[in-house]
This record gives sequence, C-alpha cells and structure tokens, in this order.
Amino acid sequence: MAILPMKRIHIYALLEDHKQILELLQQFGTVQVEDDLQEDEFFSKKDLTDEKLKLDRDITMVSEALAVLNDYAPEEKSMFDSLKGKQELSFADFEELSAKYHEIFKTASNIKNLDRQIAESTAAMYKLQLQIDTISPWGRLDIPLQFQGTNSTAALIGTLPRELSHEDILIQLADLVPEVEGLHLDIISADHQQTCIFVLCSKKQESLVEAALRSIGFARPAIASGDKAPAIQKAEWEEEYENHRKAINESKTAIFSFADSRGELQFLSDCLSMRMERLETSEHLLESKRIIVISGYILEREAEALTSALYNKFLLYMELSDPSENEDFPILLQNSKFSEPVEGVLKSFSLPGKGEIDPTSIFAFFYYILFGLMFSDAGYGLLMAIVCGICLRKFPKMENNMQKTLRMFFFCGLSTLFWGAVFGSWFGNAVLVISTTFFNNPVSLDPLWFEPTQDPMRMLVFSMGVGVVHLFAGLAANIKQSAKNKQYMAVLYDAGFWYMLIGGLIVLALSSEKFIEILNLNFIIPENIGKTAGIIAAIGAAGIVLTAGRESRNWFKRILKGLYGLYNVSGYLSDILSYSRLLALGLATGAIATVINEMAAMGGTSIGGVILFVIVFIAGHAVNIGINLLGAYVHTNRLTFVEFFGKFYEGGGSEFMPLGINTKYYKIKEELKS
Amino acid sequence: MSDWNWGVLIALSGGILAALLSGIGSAIGVGKAGDAAAGAVTEDPSLFGKVLILQLLPGTQGIYGLLVAFLTLTQIGIMGGSSDFSLVKGLMYFVSCLPMAFVGLWSALRQSKVSISSIALVTKRPDQSGKAIIFPAMVETYAILALLISILCITGVSGLNV
Repeated sequence: MAILPMKRIHIYALLEDHKQILELLQQFGTVQVEDDLQEDEFFSKKDLTDEKLKLDRDITMVSEALAVLNDYAPEEKSMFDSLKGKQELSFADFEELSAKYHEIFKTASNIKNLDRQIAESTAAMYKLQLQIDTISPWGRLDIPLQFQGTNSTAALIGTLPRELSHEDILIQLADLVPEVEGLHLDIISADHQQTCIFVLCSKKQESLVEAALRSIGFARPAIASGDKAPAIQKAEWEEEYENHRKAINESKTAIFSFADSRGELQFLSDCLSMRMERLETSEHLLESKRIIVISGYILEREAEALTSALYNKFLLYMELSDPSENEDFPILLQNSKFSEPVEGVLKSFSLPGKGEIDPTSIFAFFYYILFGLMFSDAGYGLLMAIVCGICLRKFPKMENNMQKTLRMFFFCGLSTLFWGAVFGSWFGNAVLVISTTFFNNPVSLDPLWFEPTQDPMRMLVFSMGVGVVHLFAGLAANIKQSAKNKQYMAVLYDAGFWYMLIGGLIVLALSSEKFIEILNLNFIIPENIGKTAGIIAAIGAAGIVLTAGRESRNWFKRILKGLYGLYNVSGYLSDILSYSRLLALGLATGAIATVINEMAAMGGTSIGGVILFVIVFIAGHAVNIGINLLGAYVHTNRLTFVEFFGKFYEGGGSEFMPLGINTKYYKIKEELKS
Repeated sequence: MSDWNWGVLIALSGGILAALLSGIGSAIGVGKAGDAAAGAVTEDPSLFGKVLILQLLPGTQGIYGLLVAFLTLTQIGIMGGSSDFSLVKGLMYFVSCLPMAFVGLWSALRQSKVSISSIALVTKRPDQSGKAIIFPAMVETYAILALLISILCITGVSGLNV
C-alpha cells in the first residue's frame, strides 16, 4: 500500500572477494548500487571499458549465433508462448551448464562460422552464375576466348550488337573495307541482343579489319577463359558452382544439427548478460590496493537477510543507515492484489517524487470504475474477464508485468460487466434483435437502472457526479499527502477551502429551480440549505484568495496571487465537464453495437441470413471491442493523469533497479540464494 | 412536392455530413499517423504495439461521426418508423449534426499531427509511451465534447413538437 522504505548501505570488503560479493548481491537482487562515491588519492574507480567491449563482442556473437539458429532451424512457437513465462532452471542444472561454458561458447562460434561460410558461398555462387551466363553463348567455340591468332593470321573474337546474319556482316565489311580479302567469318551464336563472331584475317590487315568492326559496334568478350575452350571453362565453373551449393547444404545441415544446443546457447546469453550487469556495477565501486567500497540502497525488509549472508561468507564491514530527509531514494511500490495491477499505469506517468504518497491504492478503484463506465457493455466485460481469467489460471508462471496487465483488464472487465448490466447493454441490444428476428418473440434484457440512450441527460448528470467524487477523492489524497509531510495548514488551504467552495457551489446550484430543470432532476435541495451552502462557498473563496498566494510576503501581491488562485475554479468546472466523456464513450460502445446487430439481422431468417448474422455479429463486435477498448483505456488514463493527479500528484521519482538476475530466457530458481 | 420531404432530406444531409467530414478527417489522420508509425517500426519492430495505438487515436472521430449519422437516421425514420416532421425540425437536426461534422474533421487532422510527434517521441524514448498517448488524447477531448452536444441536440430535437 505504499512506497517501500529503503536503507543506505555501504560495504567495505577485501578486493579478493570482489567477484563473489557481487555475485551474491546479484543473486539476492535487493541492492541498487549507486555511483555516488568520490575518488581520492587512495581510492579510485576502475576503468573497465576494455572488459566491457570484449564482453559486448561476446554477447553480440552469441545473440547472432542464436539468430542464425532461428533462421535455419526455427523454434516452434505458439501464440501462448509469451504467456508461459521463462523456463525455470534448477541450481543443479545451472551448475552443470556453467561447467560447460567454454564448450557452449565454441558451439556459438561454430554456428557463426558456418553462417559466414554460407554467406561466402552464396556470394561466390552469384558471381559464378554471372560468369556462366556470360560464357554460355561461346559454347560452340573450340579455342580459348583470348586466342590472338597464329604467326601470319590474326583472330578477332568478340560480339556485335543485335542479331546479324553471316551475310549482313560480310556486306557491311565489304562496304567499309573493300580492300581486305581472304577474311574468314564464323558466327558462334546469335540472339536478339548480340551476335558472337570469330573473324580470321591476315595479320597485316588486322588493324584495318578491327577498326571496321569497331565502327559497327564490335567488342571483345567481357570474360576470359584462360587457355581453355569456353565450353570446358563453363563446365569447370559449373562444377565449382555445384560444390558451393553442396557446401551450403552441408553447412545448413550442420547448423540444423545444433538445434538441440539452443537451450544451452540461450543459457550462455543469459550468463553473459548477467556478467555484463556485474561489470557495469563494478564501474561504480571504489577500489584501493586491498579494499573495495560499495555504496547503494537496500530494501529495509531485506537488509537483515543480506547482512547475515554477507557476514557469514566474507570478511567485511558493512554500514546501514536511514536515507536523509532530502534524499531522493529509489522507489519500489507494494500494493494489494487489487490495486497492484495499475502500478504499470502509474509508472507510465511517473513514480512518486520526494514527499509524495503512493496513489496506487486510491486511483485503482476509480480506474476500474471509469473504465467500466466507458466500455459499458456487459457482454464485452464478461468476455474480457473470462479471457483474462483463463489466461491467468492457465499460465501461472507468466512474466510479472504481463500478469499485472491481465489482472488489470480482468478487474476492468468485471467493472464493465457491472456497468453494462446497470445500463442494460449485452452486446448492445443483441438479445432483443435475435429474439425478434429469429424467434418472432421480442425479449429484452431490462437495465438494472436506466438506458443511457433513452435518457442521455440523466447519464450526463451521473457522469459529472462521478467526476465530482473522483476530483474530491483527489483532494482527499492531497490532504493525505500534506499530512504525511506535516504541512497541516496546507490541508485547510489547498484542500479544505476547495471542498468548501466547490461543494458549496454544487449544493447551491442544486437548490436553484432553473438548474434542476435543465438537468431534469427529480429532487431539489431546500432553499435555506442552498443559502447556507452559498455562504460556505463564499468563505472557501475568501480563504483561497487569502491563502493561495501565501509564499509572497507582500500583501498586495499575495491578494493578486490569491485571486488568480480563485480563478482556478474555472479549472474545476472544465475538469467536471471533462467527465462527460463517460457518457459519450459509453454511448458510442452501445450505439455501435446496436448498429452491428441491426446490420447483422438484415439477412432475415433464411440459412444464408443466419450465416450472415453470425459473420457480421462476430466480426462487427470484434472491431467494436478493439476500438472501444482502446478508447476506454486511453481516456481512463487521461482522466486519471490530468483530472485526478492534477489535484495532488506530480511524480518524478526513479525506479528501484537492484543489481539482479535480469535474464531473457531462463529464470534461475530461488534456491540459488541458499 | 409536399413539405415533409424537404425536412427529411435536410435532416439526412446533416447526419451524412457528420459521417462524411469526420470520416474524411479520420482517414487522413490515421493515414498520416500510419506513415509515421511504419517509419518507427522500421527502426524498431518491437514498437509495433505502442505506435499502433498512437496511429489509431485520430480514427475515433470517424466512429463518432458514424454514431451521430446513425442516431439521426433512426430518429428521422430512415431506418424504419415514421418520418413525418416539419421543415423546421429537419433544419434543427441538420444544425445538431454540425458540431460533430466540423469538430470531427478538424480535431482528427490536428490530432494526427500530435500523434505523429508522439510516435517520434516513442521511437526515441519507448519507456515514455504512457505520456505520449496522453497528448493526442487531449485533442480528442474536443471531438468528444462535439459528439456529446450533437447527441444531446438530436435526442432533444426528437422530443420537440415543432
């Protein structure tokens, strides 16, 4: 129900016990080590950048190996895996795996190497494929591509653009160099992009012929075949290609055979990240030649257990003290099963700052109520509560945060069920529509109170009433907070006067006939009570004018500030009006559900109509649940953060993050501690 | 042409206008926020859940518009029932729909801008997503107020005898 008390802790130990002490602290998970020690000529902090870099490289290597393993031998996953929580590891298993540390590390680097080989082979295959494609057209040529000619002849091997016939080329050459004679032309292959040719001429005329050929687009082949004929070169490359393909398959099989080591690799990854956390902590410690000093915070209730464990195992000296009054100690909250689930919501705003109370237990109750009012459909609420309930039942080991979220939605679902029943909405008007369409016998579930669509004004008044209660609860929390800080006058100034002013104004308004008429209420407060309320409100207002600017010494300034403080009454007005969203969002859920039901029933009573009904009903309500769940969640948060917290809470505390076992894959069982 | 026809036509155009403008606003808003969300997910796929919520926030106006249109349709007898009312009443329905139509359009557009900024915020500080959601939700308040006044007007007008 509160913020857990913390103690300052200082440990002075022998340097040789350094590692074991940190390991022990990590197993206990109850100390947050602080970086608040000053270096001097005797004590200094150790620079661990190199160790961290090396460890970081190892961590990356292992996680890459795991990623490779997941690529080639994917883990079987089901939708519910995220709910199952981490696998537990007993102490015996932990010891056994720790002994295999180097072996597992080798597996990881093997996997990485195999992956690199696959990448290299893939690149080589790509290159070979290109070469094979380029040399293919030369398959018919039985001399090497780079053949230059004999003593008296010159060979010109190359390509011409476009598809040309033997005749085309000879005609063009005859046109360009009519003086050349005794020229031999072979067409090796031709397709619509290029024509591969082999030209043999006398050595003397080589330059003439080549110039002529170049003028019609001749180019030497972009590829070499050494001293082999292209067909042989191609066959060699194909063989090489095949070898790479085989190598890849072998590597893949080899990686696949490591699938059983996945668990060990995950263990290694956890081990390394635990070590990293210890290393990062080590940076904050002071060290002399023989001594280390650890400074931090410890949970008060855990202090004793840790003290005895430390004294039993090590030769050291330890100091425990209360944090000083102005100290910003880290925050850990503890609440009942009912209000604990909304701690996440509080965390997403901010944890309690200095001198603030933990508002969780106060706002949890309102959170569920407001959520239920906005989601406001009994069918949806029931569905939500059942789904969350089953998940919580079936997967008791799920992660703590996940469990809290599900529990929050479970309670929200119950509240939605309640308010849905109060306002008579069960999947909108599904019962009425189904009974009318399919059984011709209209049955409707009557609301326990009234239907907001029939009487929106009443719902509006009710919403604002809920708002006033919520805001007043916020003021009450303000009182609690001021009392905690022993600012007893602030109780009157910051909360008391506002109670008088707002409460008085509301009662005064309720005694006015005109106001009652607008709101369509069926009661009125007697005039004399209204008058008394008016006087109380006036006293409250005067009190606010006199005290809201109490930090100022100057009376003129003080009254001006006070008047400005009184102006805040408009803030209260807009706060109360803001709760009209309870009506709007509640109506939206119900009205859209009704639209869906009516659309679903349009198909009539034939078989096709029934099928249409089922499809539209399920899909429509699923969408409606999605949209309104989001709306209800967002606006419940808003009402809590802006309207409610605005009355007393600022936050600004930092979370308690002890040195602990923050692993990704395994949870090491408690017995490790002993 | 008899008088009541005009009344229904004008009332219907009001309802349609609410659905139309709010829907357009939301479509543009969700579209723009979606671009930003997709960008955020390329950076860090684990942000999907968080940015999806932010993308959806400007989408509610379209639903409020639909709601107002639907309420109007049921009140003026398009979905069955009597549609026998005067031109004045038709005009009253028309103006009742206007808050939702206009505020729906503009708030969705503005809200998408805040959503985009919030998506940028979440990309840089994923732990602050709780706060990031509140900023766009602030804009939505005005769409909700418009929805409220439109609903109150429509249900109020149907009770009037003019």
